[in-house]
Amino acid sequence: MRSRVSFGMAEAVVLLTMSSMARIFLPFPRYLVELSGPAAWLSSVAGLFLALLQVYLFYIILKPYPGENIMDITERTLGKVAGAALNIYYGFFFITIAAGFTRIFSEALLVSALPRTPISVVATSFMLIAVMGAYLGLETMARSTRLTYPFVLGGIVVLLFGLLPRWEISNLFPILGSGPVNVFIKGGFNAAIVTEIFLAAVIVQSFKGQEVFGKITSRAMLMSFGYLIILEMVFIMTINWNSAQESTLPFYQLSRLIYFGRFFQRVESIFIIIWSFIGMIKISLTLYASAFVLAHAFRLPDHRPLVLPLAVIIYSLSFLPPDLPSSLELERIIRMHGVLPSIILPVLVLVLDRFRRRGSKNEAS
Amino acid sequence: MKEILKNIIQLISYRESAGPEDFILEENLFDKKAVESNQGGSGEPPIFAEKEGADSVNEGRDEGSSQSKGRVRSRRRKKGESSGEEPEQQSNGGDQVHGSLEQNRNRIDQIYGLPVNKDLIVRSFTMGTSPPTGGFAIFIDGLADRTTVNLLLQNLMVHTRMYCNNEGSPASYIMKNLLPGSQIRTLDSFKKIADSVNYGDTAFFFQGSAQAIVVETKGWERRAVSRPNVEQTISGPQESFVENLRVNTGLVRKIIRSEKLFTELFQIGARFPSDVAVMYLKDLANPQLVEEVKRRISSITVDYVNDIGILEQFIEDDPYSMNSQTLSTERPDRVAALLAEGKVAILLGGSPFALVVPVTMYSQMHTGEEVYLRWQYGTFLRYIRTISFYLALLLPGSYLAVVLYHQEMVPTELLLFIAGNREKVPFPTLVEMLLMEFSFELVREAGLRIPGIIGSTIGIVGALILGQTAVQANIVSPILVILVAVTGLASFSIPSYSLAFAVRIYRFFYIIMGSVLGFFGISIVLYVQILLTTNLKSFGVPYLSPTGPRTHSGPDIVFRLPIFMHRRRPDYLNPQDDIRMSQNPRGWVEEGNGGEKQG
Repeated sequence: MRSRVSFGMAEAVVLLTMSSMARIFLPFPRYLVELSGPAAWLSSVAGLFLALLQVYLFYIILKPYPGENIMDITERTLGKVAGAALNIYYGFFFITIAAGFTRIFSEALLVSALPRTPISVVATSFMLIAVMGAYLGLETMARSTRLTYPFVLGGIVVLLFGLLPRWEISNLFPILGSGPVNVFIKGGFNAAIVTEIFLAAVIVQSFKGQEVFGKITSRAMLMSFGYLIILEMVFIMTINWNSAQESTLPFYQLSRLIYFGRFFQRVESIFIIIWSFIGMIKISLTLYASAFVLAHAFRLPDHRPLVLPLAVIIYSLSFLPPDLPSSLELERIIRMHGVLPSIILPVLVLVLDRFRRRGSKNEAS
Repeated sequence: MKEILKNIIQLISYRESAGPEDFILEENLFDKKAVESNQGGSGEPPIFAEKEGADSVNEGRDEGSSQSKGRVRSRRRKKGESSGEEPEQQSNGGDQVHGSLEQNRNRIDQIYGLPVNKDLIVRSFTMGTSPPTGGFAIFIDGLADRTTVNLLLQNLMVHTRMYCNNEGSPASYIMKNLLPGSQIRTLDSFKKIADSVNYGDTAFFFQGSAQAIVVETKGWERRAVSRPNVEQTISGPQESFVENLRVNTGLVRKIIRSEKLFTELFQIGARFPSDVAVMYLKDLANPQLVEEVKRRISSITVDYVNDIGILEQFIEDDPYSMNSQTLSTERPDRVAALLAEGKVAILLGGSPFALVVPVTMYSQMHTGEEVYLRWQYGTFLRYIRTISFYLALLLPGSYLAVVLYHQEMVPTELLLFIAGNREKVPFPTLVEMLLMEFSFELVREAGLRIPGIIGSTIGIVGALILGQTAVQANIVSPILVILVAVTGLASFSIPSYSLAFAVRIYRFFYIIMGSVLGFFGISIVLYVQILLTTNLKSFGVPYLSPTGPRTHSGPDIVFRLPIFMHRRRPDYLNPQDDIRMSQNPRGWVEEGNGGEKQG
C-alpha cells in the first residue's frame, strides 16, 4: 500500500512547508524574540542553515538505499529488535508532537476567536478532522494542501504588507540582539528543530524517487524558514521587541493591527480560517505520521486501523497540561527533546550504517 | 309512503355486504407463484434471484459464473450474440421459426398474448406466386411507420412476380427481389424477432420458410431537433439532443466528420433493453479509458434503464460523494468539443442528454460558450462564475459567523444597522437564516413544478412578496433577504445542474457550522469538503485536476488564454496525441516578430 501512494514535487514541498510553518501561528515567534531580542530573525536564518544541514544528514542516510525510508534503514542498521524499538519511539515522538499541537492550536483559537467555547469542542473538531485526513491518506492531504496554499499565501502576504505603514526599521537594531551566542547558537538550535525533515524521511517512498528527497525537503525548509524570517522581521518592526515579548500569539496580534481605512479593519477573523487550516493540516499530518510509523514498526500492512485509537490517545494527552502556559512550557521541552530523533539518533544510525557497510565491504574484499 | 319507510329502514339497518371485500393487493402472491413455477418448470422464472451466490458478485465481469446458476440469468446481449437457448422457452414451443405458417402464427400469439394484447398487428396476406404463398406480417401499432409497412405489403401482394424456386430459400429470394427496405435481415429466432419488432421493425413470415424477414420500419412520433432548453447560450450552435439515439449520434457525427469517430452500441436492461452508445475518437481517446467505460456499462445487470441519469448512477466512481462525476450536456457541439479533447461520450436511447467522462470540477464550471467568445469575455464570464460559486457556498455561513461570533469585523455603522434590524426579529439568526433558505428552496422547487408560464411568474412574485412581507412582519431582517437572494442568484449561475445541487446542499453545512463555531466551523467544513473533493476521481482522473494534483494544465481552467495558445490537450486525459495545433497556428503571423503581420 505504501508504495502506491505518490504525489508530485509541488505537492510534497507545499505539504512540508505548510506543516512546518504551523509554528509561526503559535507563540513560537515570541519565544525567539525572548531569546534573541531584536535579532530573532537572525536566529531563524541560523536555524535555516542548521535545518539544511539536517536535510543533508538525512539525504546521505537515505541515499544508498533507494526505495527505503528512514525506518527501514534504522532496522537494517540496528537489527530487527532494536530498530523496531527505535521506530516505536519515533511513533511516540509524533504522538507527543500531535498532542502538543492539538492543545496549543485549540487554546490559540479560544484566545483569538471563540472565547466562550469549551476547549474540548475545538479539540474534538481538530481530532475528527485529523482522523478523516489520516484515513484518506497522504496523497489526499498533499493535494488538498496544495490546493489551499495560494489562499494561505495570499492571506499572509496581505497581513504582512498590510502592516507596511507601521513598520519601523530602527526596531531591528541592535542587529545582533542579545548577543551572538544567544542569537546563533541557542536561537538557531531552537529554530532548527523541525519534525518535517524527519517526517519527509519517513514518507520518502511517496516522493517520486529517493534523489528528489533533498530537493523537496530543502525547498520546503527554505520556504517555511522564509516565512518565519519575514514574520519575525515584520513582528519586530511593527511592535518593538520589548512589547513583542509580551504577546501570546504574534500572528494574531499582527492581524489585529491591520487598518486599511474604515471599512477594512479588524480582519483577524479572516485569518482564523488560514490559521485553523494550518492547524488541521499539521495535526492530521502528525497523526498520520504516528500511525504510519507505528504500523511500520509493528509490521502492519495498513496504518488506518491505528488512526482512531491514536487519535483518542492524542486527544487525552493534549489535555494533560492544566493551562496554556504549562502546555507551552511542555511544548518547549518536547521541542528541545526533538534534537534526539532529528539529529542525534540519525547521526548514530549513519555512523553505524557506514561502519557496517565498510565491514561488509572488507569482508567481501 | 311505504316505499319511503322501507328506504329509511334500509338506510339505518345493518346488512352484511354480499359482495366480496374491497380489492386487496395480496403480498407474496407472485413470490409464491415464482417459487412454484420454478419447481414445476412452467412459466418464467424471475430475471434476478433474490439472493445471489457469493461468486455472482463478479457477475458482470465473469459471465461463466452466472450462467452456471439456474436462477441467475445474465441478460447482457450484444449484437449478433445468441441468447435464445433458455430452457423455459423451449418448453413453451421452441425459439426456432418453423416452416409451417400455422405454427409460427400460434407461437407469435403465445409470445405476445394475442388477442388480449392489442398493440401487435398481425396482417395475413397471400402472394400472387404460383402456387400462391401465404404469409403474415407483424408490427407494433404506433412504433412502425405505416407508410413503409403499406409499401412493403403492396410490393408483396401486388407486384409479386412468379416465384422461382431455384434461387435458394424463399426468404432469401423474397429479401433479394421483393422487399424494398434499406435495413433488412433474416432471423430464425423468435426471441430476436420479438426484440426487433418491439423496437419498431416489421417481421414477415412465409409459408414454407423457416426464417422470418425483419425490415426496419421504425417510425414512432418523435420530437424534432430544437434549441437547447437547459444550456442556453448566446453564441454558438443552437441545437440540442432529442430522445432518439440515432438522431443524437448523427448530430455529433455531423460536427466531427471523421471515420475515426467510433460509436459502439450496447444493450442494457434485462427486462426491457435500452441502447447505449459509447462514442470516442479512436485515434485520440486513451484506449484504457474507453475500455473502462465499456467495461462499466456492459457489467450493469438491472431490469431496465430509463434515463441517462440512472445510467450515470450505475457507472460513477463514488456514488456517495456529493459531486457528480460525469458531465451531462444536451449540446452536440459541446460533446464534439469534449470528444476532440479525448474524452468519451455516452448516449442512451430515449434520453436527450449525453454523459461525457471523465470530468473535472473545472469543466463542470464551463459552459462551452466561453470558447466561442473572445478570450477576454470568456475569462471574465468564468471569473464571475467562480466568484458566484464561492458566494453560493460561503455567503450565508460567513454572515452567520460574522454576526454571531466576529462582530468586530463589521464596521460600526453596518453593525448598528444589522443590530437595529435584528432587534425586532424574534428568532435567533440561525432560525431566521434557515427559514429564508428553506423558503427560497421552496419557491425554487414550486416554480419548477407549477406548469408552464405561471411557474416562473409565481417564482418571482412569490419570492418578492415573501421577502417583502417577511421583512414588514419583522420575521426576518432585510439584510438577510438580500443575502439569501444573492446566494440564490449565485447558485443559479453555476452551469452544471449537479454541481449546483452539491453547492446547495453543502451550503447548509456551512450555515450550521458557521452558527456553531464561527469561522472555525466554516474552515472545518471547507477543509472536509476540500479533502473529500480532492479524494474524488472520475474514471481514474482526479476530480480537481489540473490543480489537485498539479499537472500541466493548459490555458483553460478559470483563466482562458487566447485560443491559439491552447496547443495541448488536457494532460490529465493522457490522450494518444496531445498536440492540438501547430507551433504557430496563426500561419499568417510571422513568428518572433512580436505578432506583426507578414508581408
